[in-house]
Amino acid sequence: MNRVPRRLAATLALPSLLVAFWWWASAGSTSFYLPPLRQILAVFPQVWTVDRFETDVLPSLARLAAGYLLAAVVGIGIGVVIGRSRVVRGIAEPGLEFFRAIPPPVLVPILMLFAGIGDQMKIIVIATGALWPILLNTVEGVRAADSVLIDTARSFRIGGLRRLRHLTLPAAGPQIFAGLRQAVSIAIILMVISEMFAANEGLGFAIIQFQRSFAVPEMWSGTILLGLIGFGLAWAFRLVERRVLFWYFGMRAAARDH
Amino acid sequence: MLEIEHLRKVYDGHGRSVEALRDLTFRVGAGELVCLVGPSGCGKTTLLRCLAGLLEPTSGRTLLEGQPVTGPPERMAVVLQEYGRSLFPWMTVAANVELPLREKKLPKARRRELVTKALTEVGLADAGTAYPWQLSGGMQQRVAIARAVAYEPHVLLMDEPFAAVDAQTRADLEDLVRRIWKDLGVTILFVTHDIDEAVYLAQRVVILSNSPTVVQEDLTVDLPAERDQLSTRSDPRFTKLRGHVYEQIQKAKAGT
Repeated sequence: MNRVPRRLAATLALPSLLVAFWWWASAGSTSFYLPPLRQILAVFPQVWTVDRFETDVLPSLARLAAGYLLAAVVGIGIGVVIGRSRVVRGIAEPGLEFFRAIPPPVLVPILMLFAGIGDQMKIIVIATGALWPILLNTVEGVRAADSVLIDTARSFRIGGLRRLRHLTLPAAGPQIFAGLRQAVSIAIILMVISEMFAANEGLGFAIIQFQRSFAVPEMWSGTILLGLIGFGLAWAFRLVERRVLFWYFGMRAAARDH
Repeated sequence: MLEIEHLRKVYDGHGRSVEALRDLTFRVGAGELVCLVGPSGCGKTTLLRCLAGLLEPTSGRTLLEGQPVTGPPERMAVVLQEYGRSLFPWMTVAANVELPLREKKLPKARRRELVTKALTEVGLADAGTAYPWQLSGGMQQRVAIARAVAYEPHVLLMDEPFAAVDAQTRADLEDLVRRIWKDLGVTILFVTHDIDEAVYLAQRVVILSNSPTVVQEDLTVDLPAERDQLSTRSDPRFTKLRGHVYEQIQKAKAGT
Protein backbone atom coordinates (compact mmCIF):
# COMPACT_ATOMS: atom_id res chain seq x y z
CA MET A 1 0.00 0.00 0.00
CA ASN A 2 1.11 3.53 -0.79
CA ARG A 3 2.09 5.81 2.13
CA VAL A 4 -0.62 8.44 1.86
CA PRO A 5 -3.66 6.12 1.80
CA ARG A 6 -2.04 4.14 4.55
CA ARG A 7 -1.70 7.16 6.80
CA LEU A 8 -5.20 8.26 5.94
CA ALA A 9 -6.50 4.82 6.88
CA ALA A 10 -4.59 4.96 10.17
CA THR A 11 -6.06 8.39 10.93
CA LEU A 12 -9.61 7.38 10.13
CA ALA A 13 -9.61 3.90 11.66
CA LEU A 14 -10.43 4.79 15.25
CA PRO A 15 -12.96 7.55 14.48
CA SER A 16 -14.77 5.21 12.06
CA LEU A 17 -14.84 2.50 14.67
CA LEU A 18 -16.24 4.87 17.29
CA VAL A 19 -18.90 6.21 14.93
CA ALA A 20 -19.87 2.65 13.99
CA PHE A 21 -20.10 1.79 17.65
CA TRP A 22 -22.26 4.85 18.35
CA TRP A 23 -24.48 3.97 15.41
CA TRP A 24 -24.89 0.38 16.60
CA ALA A 25 -25.32 1.16 20.30
CA SER A 26 -27.83 3.95 19.75
CA ALA A 27 -29.75 2.23 16.94
CA GLY A 28 -32.48 0.90 19.21
CA SER A 29 -32.41 3.81 21.65
CA THR A 30 -35.78 4.99 22.84
CA SER A 31 -34.32 7.58 25.23
CA PHE A 32 -35.50 11.09 24.42
CA TYR A 33 -32.09 12.55 25.27
CA LEU A 34 -30.00 9.98 23.43
CA PRO A 35 -31.60 9.64 20.02
CA PRO A 36 -30.20 7.12 17.50
CA LEU A 37 -27.25 8.45 15.50
CA ARG A 38 -29.29 7.70 12.37
CA GLN A 39 -31.83 10.27 13.46
CA ILE A 40 -29.16 12.87 14.34
CA LEU A 41 -27.50 12.51 10.97
CA ALA A 42 -30.89 12.72 9.26
CA VAL A 43 -31.61 16.13 10.76
CA PHE A 44 -28.05 17.38 10.19
CA PRO A 45 -28.52 18.63 6.60
CA GLN A 46 -31.90 20.08 7.51
CA VAL A 47 -30.50 22.06 10.43
CA TRP A 48 -27.15 23.19 9.03
CA THR A 49 -28.31 24.79 5.83
CA VAL A 50 -26.49 27.49 3.92
CA ASP A 51 -28.69 30.08 5.62
CA ARG A 52 -27.86 28.73 9.03
CA PHE A 53 -24.17 28.80 8.20
CA GLU A 54 -24.46 32.44 7.27
CA THR A 55 -26.40 33.50 10.34
CA ASP A 56 -24.81 31.30 13.01
CA VAL A 57 -21.67 29.49 11.96
CA LEU A 58 -19.76 32.12 10.04
CA PRO A 59 -20.18 34.89 12.65
CA SER A 60 -18.93 32.45 15.28
CA LEU A 61 -15.92 31.53 13.20
CA ALA A 62 -15.19 35.19 12.44
CA ARG A 63 -15.16 35.99 16.15
CA LEU A 64 -13.01 32.94 16.79
CA ALA A 65 -10.50 34.11 14.20
CA ALA A 66 -10.49 37.68 15.52
CA GLY A 67 -10.04 36.63 19.14
CA TYR A 68 -7.41 34.08 18.27
CA LEU A 69 -5.38 36.46 16.14
CA LEU A 70 -5.58 39.12 18.81
CA ALA A 71 -4.33 36.62 21.39
CA ALA A 72 -1.53 35.51 19.07
CA VAL A 73 -0.28 39.03 18.33
CA VAL A 74 -0.50 40.21 21.94
CA GLY A 75 0.81 36.92 23.37
CA ILE A 76 3.82 36.68 21.10
CA GLY A 77 4.53 40.41 21.38
CA ILE A 78 4.48 40.55 25.17
CA GLY A 79 6.05 37.11 25.40
CA VAL A 80 9.11 38.26 23.44
CA VAL A 81 9.52 41.33 25.65
CA ILE A 82 9.24 39.30 28.85
CA GLY A 83 11.32 36.39 27.59
CA ARG A 84 14.22 38.55 26.52
CA SER A 85 14.82 40.31 29.80
CA ARG A 86 15.49 38.61 33.08
CA VAL A 87 14.44 41.74 34.96
CA VAL A 88 11.06 42.02 33.24
CA ARG A 89 10.55 38.30 33.76
CA GLY A 90 11.12 38.60 37.49
CA ILE A 91 8.54 41.36 37.73
CA ALA A 92 5.95 39.87 35.40
CA GLU A 93 5.98 36.17 36.20
CA PRO A 94 4.05 36.10 39.52
CA GLY A 95 1.31 38.21 37.94
CA LEU A 96 1.19 35.99 34.89
CA GLU A 97 0.83 32.88 37.00
CA PHE A 98 -2.09 34.46 38.82
CA PHE A 99 -3.96 35.50 35.68
CA ARG A 100 -3.32 32.18 34.04
CA ALA A 101 -4.93 30.41 36.97
CA ILE A 102 -8.25 32.21 36.42
CA PRO A 103 -10.55 30.03 34.32
CA PRO A 104 -11.50 32.25 31.35
CA PRO A 105 -15.25 31.42 31.42
CA VAL A 106 -15.38 33.19 34.80
CA LEU A 107 -14.45 36.35 32.95
CA VAL A 108 -17.56 36.28 30.79
CA PRO A 109 -19.94 37.90 33.33
CA ILE A 110 -17.29 40.45 34.28
CA LEU A 111 -16.47 41.33 30.68
CA MET A 112 -20.18 41.63 29.89
CA LEU A 113 -20.30 44.55 32.31
CA PHE A 114 -17.54 46.38 30.47
CA ALA A 115 -17.87 45.28 26.91
CA GLY A 116 -21.58 44.56 26.61
CA ILE A 117 -22.92 41.44 24.95
CA GLY A 118 -21.89 42.14 21.38
CA ASP A 119 -19.09 40.84 19.20
CA GLN A 120 -16.57 42.87 21.12
CA MET A 121 -17.21 41.04 24.40
CA LYS A 122 -17.05 37.65 22.72
CA ILE A 123 -13.81 38.44 20.94
CA ILE A 124 -12.28 39.68 24.19
CA VAL A 125 -13.37 36.51 26.00
CA ILE A 126 -11.80 34.32 23.31
CA ALA A 127 -8.65 36.42 23.28
CA THR A 128 -8.17 36.50 27.05
CA GLY A 129 -8.48 32.74 27.26
CA ALA A 130 -6.30 31.93 24.26
CA LEU A 131 -3.66 34.45 25.32
CA TRP A 132 -2.09 32.52 28.20
CA PRO A 133 -0.74 29.42 26.53
CA ILE A 134 0.65 31.57 23.71
CA LEU A 135 2.19 34.12 26.06
CA LEU A 136 3.72 31.63 28.50
CA ASN A 137 5.08 29.40 25.77
CA THR A 138 6.58 32.38 23.98
CA VAL A 139 8.29 33.53 27.17
CA GLU A 140 9.70 30.06 27.68
CA GLY A 141 10.75 29.67 24.06
CA VAL A 142 12.52 33.03 23.94
CA ARG A 143 14.18 32.45 27.29
CA ALA A 144 15.49 29.04 26.29
CA ALA A 145 17.04 30.18 23.00
CA ASP A 146 20.39 28.51 22.45
CA SER A 147 23.22 30.46 24.09
CA VAL A 148 25.62 29.55 21.28
CA LEU A 149 23.26 31.01 18.69
CA ILE A 150 22.87 34.14 20.80
CA ASP A 151 26.66 34.48 21.10
CA THR A 152 26.99 33.97 17.37
CA ALA A 153 24.45 36.68 16.62
CA ARG A 154 26.13 39.02 19.08
CA SER A 155 29.60 38.43 17.69
CA PHE A 156 28.33 39.34 14.22
CA ARG A 157 26.58 42.36 15.73
CA ILE A 158 23.16 41.22 14.60
CA GLY A 159 20.70 43.28 16.59
CA GLY A 160 17.35 44.99 16.62
CA LEU A 161 14.66 43.86 14.22
CA ARG A 162 16.99 41.62 12.29
CA ARG A 163 17.77 39.74 15.45
CA LEU A 164 14.07 39.48 16.32
CA ARG A 165 13.19 38.18 12.90
CA HIS A 166 16.14 35.88 12.27
CA LEU A 167 16.97 34.68 15.76
CA THR A 168 14.47 35.32 18.54
CA LEU A 169 11.23 34.38 16.79
CA PRO A 170 12.42 31.35 14.82
CA ALA A 171 14.36 29.99 17.80
CA ALA A 172 11.22 30.21 19.92
CA GLY A 173 9.09 28.96 17.02
CA PRO A 174 8.54 25.35 18.10
CA GLN A 175 7.54 26.44 21.58
CA ILE A 176 5.34 29.28 20.27
CA PHE A 177 3.54 26.77 18.07
CA ALA A 178 2.97 24.48 21.05
CA GLY A 179 1.21 27.43 22.70
CA LEU A 180 -0.72 28.32 19.56
CA ARG A 181 -1.94 24.75 19.31
CA GLN A 182 -3.29 24.71 22.87
CA ALA A 183 -4.86 28.08 22.21
CA VAL A 184 -6.90 26.70 19.29
CA SER A 185 -8.89 24.35 21.47
CA ILE A 186 -9.29 26.91 24.24
CA ALA A 187 -10.51 29.46 21.71
CA ILE A 188 -13.13 27.05 20.35
CA ILE A 189 -14.42 26.33 23.85
CA LEU A 190 -14.63 30.01 24.64
CA MET A 191 -16.30 30.79 21.35
CA VAL A 192 -19.14 28.47 22.34
CA ILE A 193 -19.28 29.57 25.97
CA SER A 194 -19.32 33.26 25.10
CA GLU A 195 -22.42 32.58 22.98
CA MET A 196 -24.23 30.69 25.67
CA PHE A 197 -24.53 33.56 28.14
CA ALA A 198 -25.95 36.37 26.12
CA ALA A 199 -26.33 36.17 22.40
CA ASN A 200 -28.83 36.15 19.60
CA GLU A 201 -26.81 34.27 17.03
CA GLY A 202 -23.86 31.94 16.83
CA LEU A 203 -23.11 28.26 17.01
CA GLY A 204 -23.20 28.09 20.81
CA PHE A 205 -26.40 30.09 20.85
CA ALA A 206 -28.01 27.70 18.33
CA ILE A 207 -27.06 24.64 20.36
CA ILE A 208 -28.49 26.19 23.54
CA GLN A 209 -31.66 27.15 21.66
CA PHE A 210 -32.14 23.57 20.50
CA GLN A 211 -31.57 22.31 24.00
CA ARG A 212 -34.08 24.72 25.53
CA SER A 213 -36.72 23.83 22.94
CA PHE A 214 -36.09 20.10 23.45
CA ALA A 215 -34.96 19.71 19.84
CA VAL A 216 -32.58 16.98 20.98
CA PRO A 217 -31.37 15.50 17.65
CA GLU A 218 -30.77 19.06 16.40
CA MET A 219 -28.78 19.82 19.55
CA TRP A 220 -26.66 16.71 18.96
CA SER A 221 -26.13 17.70 15.35
CA GLY A 222 -24.71 21.02 16.56
CA THR A 223 -22.31 19.23 18.84
CA ILE A 224 -21.16 17.08 15.94
CA LEU A 225 -20.63 20.17 13.82
CA LEU A 226 -18.51 21.66 16.60
CA GLY A 227 -16.42 18.52 16.65
CA LEU A 228 -15.96 18.69 12.89
CA ILE A 229 -14.93 22.33 13.09
CA GLY A 230 -12.40 21.49 15.80
CA PHE A 231 -11.04 18.68 13.69
CA GLY A 232 -10.81 20.89 10.61
CA LEU A 233 -9.00 23.62 12.50
CA ALA A 234 -6.53 21.18 14.03
CA TRP A 235 -5.83 19.82 10.58
CA ALA A 236 -5.33 23.31 9.13
CA PHE A 237 -3.09 24.15 12.07
CA ARG A 238 -0.85 21.18 11.39
CA LEU A 239 -0.55 22.23 7.78
CA VAL A 240 0.61 25.71 8.76
CA GLU A 241 2.93 24.34 11.44
CA ARG A 242 4.56 21.88 9.03
CA ARG A 243 5.19 24.72 6.64
CA VAL A 244 6.52 27.28 9.12
CA LEU A 245 8.57 24.85 11.20
CA PHE A 246 9.81 22.69 8.31
CA TRP A 247 13.37 23.23 9.50
CA TYR A 248 12.51 21.96 12.97
CA PHE A 249 10.92 18.76 11.72
CA GLY A 250 13.74 18.32 9.22
CA MET A 251 16.34 18.79 11.93
CA ARG A 252 14.65 16.29 14.21
CA ALA A 253 14.37 13.74 11.43
CA ALA A 254 18.07 14.28 10.61
CA ALA A 255 19.02 13.79 14.27
CA ARG A 256 17.08 10.52 14.36
CA ASP A 257 18.81 9.20 11.27
CA HIS A 258 22.33 9.84 12.57
CA MET B 1 47.13 44.08 16.07
CA LEU B 2 45.56 42.25 18.97
CA GLU B 3 47.00 43.20 22.33
CA ILE B 4 45.88 41.57 25.54
CA GLU B 5 46.92 43.54 28.60
CA HIS B 6 46.66 42.21 32.15
CA LEU B 7 43.35 40.56 31.45
CA ARG B 8 41.65 39.27 34.57
CA LYS B 9 38.24 37.66 34.95
CA VAL B 10 36.59 36.77 38.24
CA TYR B 11 33.18 35.14 38.27
CA ASP B 12 31.10 36.24 41.21
CA GLY B 13 28.04 34.43 42.33
CA HIS B 14 26.42 32.30 44.96
CA GLY B 15 28.59 33.77 47.67
CA ARG B 16 31.91 32.68 46.22
CA SER B 17 34.10 34.08 43.55
CA VAL B 18 36.13 32.07 41.08
CA GLU B 19 39.17 33.60 39.51
CA ALA B 20 39.20 32.16 36.01
CA LEU B 21 41.87 34.37 34.49
CA ARG B 22 44.48 35.92 36.74
CA ASP B 23 46.73 38.10 34.62
CA LEU B 24 47.12 37.52 30.92
CA THR B 25 49.33 39.58 28.70
CA PHE B 26 50.31 38.64 25.17
CA ARG B 27 49.96 39.99 21.70
CA VAL B 28 49.18 38.75 18.24
CA GLY B 29 50.84 40.58 15.37
CA ALA B 30 49.05 41.45 12.15
CA GLY B 31 48.86 38.44 9.86
CA GLU B 32 50.03 35.99 12.51
CA LEU B 33 48.53 32.57 13.20
CA VAL B 34 48.74 31.97 16.94
CA CYS B 35 47.41 28.97 18.84
CA LEU B 36 46.40 29.05 22.47
CA VAL B 37 46.74 25.78 24.36
CA GLY B 38 46.34 24.94 27.98
CA PRO B 39 45.18 22.22 30.33
CA SER B 40 41.45 21.53 30.32
CA GLY B 41 39.49 23.93 32.44
CA CYS B 42 42.14 26.63 32.23
CA GLY B 43 39.72 29.28 31.07
CA LYS B 44 40.42 29.17 27.34
CA THR B 45 36.79 29.77 26.49
CA THR B 46 36.50 32.56 29.06
CA LEU B 47 39.53 34.22 27.50
CA LEU B 48 38.14 33.91 24.01
CA ARG B 49 34.78 35.31 25.04
CA CYS B 50 36.55 38.29 26.62
CA LEU B 51 38.58 38.87 23.47
CA ALA B 52 35.48 38.62 21.31
CA GLY B 53 33.74 41.27 23.37
CA LEU B 54 31.07 38.80 24.48
CA LEU B 55 32.18 38.90 28.09
CA GLU B 56 33.34 41.86 30.14
CA PRO B 57 36.71 41.25 31.84
CA THR B 58 37.00 42.15 35.51
CA SER B 59 40.09 44.20 34.77
CA GLY B 60 42.64 44.64 32.04
CA ARG B 61 41.79 45.19 28.42
CA THR B 62 42.07 44.02 24.87
CA LEU B 63 43.13 46.30 22.07
CA LEU B 64 42.21 45.52 18.50
CA GLU B 65 44.24 47.64 16.11
CA GLY B 66 44.82 50.09 18.91
CA GLN B 67 41.19 50.40 19.98
CA PRO B 68 39.87 48.88 23.20
CA VAL B 69 37.35 46.06 22.75
CA THR B 70 34.14 46.90 24.61
CA GLY B 71 31.66 44.86 22.58
CA PRO B 72 31.93 42.54 19.59
CA PRO B 73 34.13 44.47 17.12
CA GLU B 74 33.22 44.78 13.48
CA ARG B 75 36.61 43.67 12.30
CA MET B 76 36.48 40.38 14.15
CA ALA B 77 34.72 37.11 13.38
CA VAL B 78 34.33 34.12 15.65
CA VAL B 79 34.05 30.40 14.92
CA LEU B 80 32.79 28.41 17.88
CA GLN B 81 33.20 24.77 18.76
CA GLU B 82 29.53 23.84 18.66
CA TYR B 83 28.96 24.10 14.92
CA GLY B 84 25.59 22.38 15.29
CA ARG B 85 24.40 25.21 17.50
CA SER B 86 26.10 28.17 15.89
CA LEU B 87 24.36 27.94 12.51
CA PHE B 88 20.77 29.05 12.13
CA PRO B 89 18.84 25.87 11.29
CA TRP B 90 15.92 27.80 9.76
CA MET B 91 18.17 29.34 7.11
CA THR B 92 19.91 27.83 4.13
CA VAL B 93 23.67 27.64 4.14
CA ALA B 94 23.89 30.68 1.85
CA ALA B 95 21.50 32.69 4.03
CA ASN B 96 23.57 31.81 7.09
CA VAL B 97 26.69 33.15 5.44
CA GLU B 98 24.86 36.20 4.17
CA LEU B 99 23.09 37.30 7.36
CA PRO B 100 26.06 39.11 8.99
CA LEU B 101 26.69 40.87 5.67
CA ARG B 102 23.17 42.23 5.68
CA GLU B 103 23.86 43.67 9.10
CA LYS B 104 26.92 45.31 7.57
CA LYS B 105 24.54 46.95 5.07
CA LEU B 106 26.42 45.68 2.04
CA PRO B 107 24.58 45.92 -1.28
CA LYS B 108 22.97 42.75 -2.54
CA ALA B 109 25.35 42.11 -5.43
CA ARG B 110 28.37 42.43 -3.14
CA ARG B 111 26.78 40.08 -0.59
CA ARG B 112 26.14 37.47 -3.27
CA GLU B 113 29.71 37.75 -4.44
CA LEU B 114 31.16 37.35 -0.94
CA VAL B 115 28.89 34.38 -0.15
CA THR B 116 29.83 32.56 -3.33
CA LYS B 117 33.50 33.26 -2.82
CA ALA B 118 33.49 32.13 0.81
CA LEU B 119 31.57 28.94 0.09
CA THR B 120 33.93 28.13 -2.76
CA GLU B 121 36.89 28.80 -0.49
CA VAL B 122 35.72 26.13 1.98
CA GLY B 123 34.76 23.68 -0.76
CA LEU B 124 31.00 24.02 -0.42
CA ALA B 125 30.19 25.91 -3.61
CA ASP B 126 27.21 23.66 -4.32
CA ALA B 127 25.75 23.52 -0.81
CA GLY B 128 24.28 27.04 -0.71
CA THR B 129 20.67 25.95 -0.92
CA ALA B 130 20.99 23.12 1.62
CA TYR B 131 20.05 23.51 5.26
CA PRO B 132 22.78 23.08 7.90
CA TRP B 133 21.15 19.97 9.38
CA GLN B 134 21.35 18.26 6.01
CA LEU B 135 25.15 18.43 6.17
CA SER B 136 27.72 16.40 8.07
CA GLY B 137 29.46 17.87 11.12
CA GLY B 138 32.61 18.71 9.20
CA MET B 139 30.62 20.43 6.47
CA GLN B 140 28.66 22.42 9.05
CA GLN B 141 31.91 23.68 10.53
CA ARG B 142 33.03 24.63 7.02
CA VAL B 143 29.87 26.71 6.71
CA ALA B 144 30.69 28.46 9.99
CA ILE B 145 34.19 29.15 8.65
CA ALA B 146 32.73 30.44 5.38
CA ARG B 147 30.44 32.77 7.31
CA ALA B 148 33.43 34.14 9.22
CA VAL B 149 35.50 34.49 6.03
CA ALA B 150 32.73 36.28 4.12
CA TYR B 151 32.53 38.79 6.95
CA GLU B 152 36.01 39.96 5.87
CA PRO B 153 37.40 40.24 9.38
CA HIS B 154 40.87 41.43 10.22
CA VAL B 155 41.01 38.93 13.06
CA LEU B 156 39.51 35.48 13.15
CA LEU B 157 38.99 33.89 16.58
CA MET B 158 38.44 30.16 16.62
CA ASP B 159 37.38 28.39 19.81
CA GLU B 160 38.24 24.69 19.59
CA PRO B 161 36.47 24.55 16.26
CA PHE B 162 37.44 20.97 15.44
CA ALA B 163 37.03 19.35 18.84
CA ALA B 164 33.82 17.64 17.83
CA VAL B 165 34.69 16.25 14.39
CA ASP B 166 36.38 12.97 13.50
CA ALA B 167 40.15 12.75 12.98
CA GLN B 168 40.17 12.70 9.16
CA THR B 169 37.76 15.60 8.84
CA ARG B 170 39.86 17.38 11.40
CA ALA B 171 43.03 17.06 9.35
CA ASP B 172 41.20 18.46 6.31
CA LEU B 173 39.84 21.37 8.30
CA GLU B 174 43.26 22.15 9.74
CA ASP B 175 44.66 22.42 6.24
CA LEU B 176 41.69 24.57 5.30
CA VAL B 177 42.53 27.01 8.11
CA ARG B 178 46.15 27.19 7.00
CA ARG B 179 45.07 27.83 3.42
CA ILE B 180 42.56 30.54 4.34
CA TRP B 181 45.14 32.18 6.53
CA LYS B 182 47.62 32.30 3.68
CA ASP B 183 45.11 33.26 0.97
CA LEU B 184 43.42 36.04 2.87
CA GLY B 185 46.21 37.34 5.05
CA VAL B 186 43.88 37.36 8.02
CA THR B 187 45.16 37.25 11.59
CA ILE B 188 44.05 34.08 13.37
CA LEU B 189 43.91 33.25 17.05
CA PHE B 190 43.09 29.60 17.40
CA VAL B 191 42.16 28.06 20.75
CA THR B 192 42.61 24.33 21.11
CA HIS B 193 43.31 21.67 23.71
CA ASP B 194 45.04 19.51 21.12
CA ILE B 195 48.83 19.93 21.30
CA ASP B 196 49.50 18.38 17.87
CA GLU B 197 46.95 20.63 16.30
CA ALA B 198 48.46 23.71 17.95
CA VAL B 199 52.01 22.92 16.80
CA TYR B 200 50.87 21.89 13.32
CA LEU B 201 48.88 25.07 12.71
CA ALA B 202 50.69 27.85 14.48
CA GLN B 203 53.57 30.20 13.98
CA ARG B 204 53.47 30.73 17.72
CA VAL B 205 51.94 28.72 20.52
CA VAL B 206 50.86 30.52 23.67
CA ILE B 207 50.72 28.00 26.50
CA LEU B 208 48.37 28.84 29.33
CA SER B 209 48.76 27.75 32.93
CA ASN B 210 46.24 26.06 35.14
CA SER B 211 43.37 28.20 36.44
CA PRO B 212 43.71 30.96 37.69
CA THR B 213 45.36 31.45 34.36
CA VAL B 214 48.54 33.22 33.35
CA VAL B 215 50.74 32.76 30.28
CA GLN B 216 53.02 29.80 30.96
CA GLU B 217 55.12 30.17 27.83
CA ASP B 218 55.09 31.94 24.51
CA LEU B 219 56.70 29.55 22.05
CA THR B 220 57.74 30.24 18.47
CA VAL B 221 57.12 27.31 16.15
CA ASP B 222 60.10 27.27 13.81
CA LEU B 223 58.70 24.81 11.33
CA PRO B 224 58.75 25.53 7.59
CA ALA B 225 55.85 27.65 6.35
CA GLU B 226 54.72 24.91 3.97
CA ARG B 227 53.11 22.28 6.10
CA ASP B 228 51.32 19.09 5.28
CA GLN B 229 49.84 16.41 7.41
CA LEU B 230 52.37 13.77 6.42
CA SER B 231 55.79 15.40 6.29
CA THR B 232 55.28 18.05 8.96
CA ARG B 233 53.97 15.63 11.52
CA SER B 234 56.92 13.26 10.95
CA ASP B 235 59.47 16.09 11.08
CA PRO B 236 61.76 15.54 14.12
CA ARG B 237 61.44 19.25 14.89
CA PHE B 238 57.65 18.83 15.11
CA THR B 239 58.05 15.92 17.52
CA LYS B 240 60.42 17.95 19.64
CA LEU B 241 58.12 20.95 19.78
CA ARG B 242 55.04 18.92 20.63
CA GLY B 243 57.07 17.18 23.33
CA HIS B 244 58.04 20.52 24.74
CA VAL B 245 54.47 21.85 24.75
CA TYR B 246 53.29 18.62 26.34
CA GLU B 247 55.85 19.00 29.09
CA GLN B 248 54.86 22.59 29.70
CA ILE B 249 51.21 21.63 29.98
CA GLN B 250 52.06 18.84 32.41
CA LYS B 251 53.95 21.40 34.46
CA ALA B 252 51.03 23.79 34.22
CA LYS B 253 48.69 21.08 35.49
CA ALA B 254 50.98 20.43 38.41
CA GLY B 255 50.97 24.15 39.09
CA THR B 256 54.67 24.92 38.73
